[in-house]
Amino acid sequence: MTDIRDLVDLEQLRAEVQSKYREVAEGPTAEYHFHTGRAHALRLGYPASPLDQLPEVACEAFAGVANPFHWGTPRPGERVVDLGSGAGMDSLLAALWVGAEGRVIGVDMTTEMLERSRRIAASLAFANVEFRQGVIENAPVDDSWADVVISNGVINLCPDKLGVYSEIARMLRPGGRMMIADICIEKPVPEEALRDIDLWTG
Amino acid sequence: MIRAAGLVDVELGPPVDTFAGASGEDKARRFGTYGYPIRARKSG
Repeated sequence: MTDIRDLVDLEQLRAEVQSKYREVAEGPTAEYHFHTGRAHALRLGYPASPLDQLPEVACEAFAGVANPFHWGTPRPGERVVDLGSGAGMDSLLAALWVGAEGRVIGVDMTTEMLERSRRIAASLAFANVEFRQGVIENAPVDDSWADVVISNGVINLCPDKLGVYSEIARMLRPGGRMMIADICIEKPVPEEALRDIDLWTG
Repeated sequence: MIRAAGLVDVELGPPVDTFAGASGEDKARRFGTYGYPIRARKSG
């Protein structure tokens, strides 16, 4: 079986992903091939509270695919990493859950998303969350730093999924939890579709 | 794959029809694409 990493030009894929999410950061209420916003988060099963503590601007560019908090939430005082933090809604929710004694690090590669999430966190005076630029296969987070790693709808965009999960294992402390959401497919994807960058991003 | 990375207690939650009603619904249907919560733990 062909390794998926041999079928896709990683730099081209990253450029396409950044282009798509740059659009979302700058025009969150436009129509995309996926749903966005607070109503979408509620439909996925996100808890209405503390989501209701975040202003619309913090939710409108949310583009997740399911609810990573299905089984529970980060706890007060915990340290959380959000891989592919995008517009920052999940990081901000985690910041509310972990409280002043906890810390949240969002990691994203798209400059416009980082600018947006940093601006919103500053406007809300959230001192326990920061956003770092990087790719999730090589996240700028120390070994064993995290109690919890979250992510939503991002790992499917990475050809090297084992590399991402190994990175999650590296960042988690022993006993730490991975709580993610992502898409899974029920039907086999032909090689020509795997090579089609447009299908990866839309 | 998640287990191969060294994580344990891997669990898949209920699917959600995340693209329903979106313009990407047709492509999602072609491959049976759904959103899932996934959890695991690092042993120790």
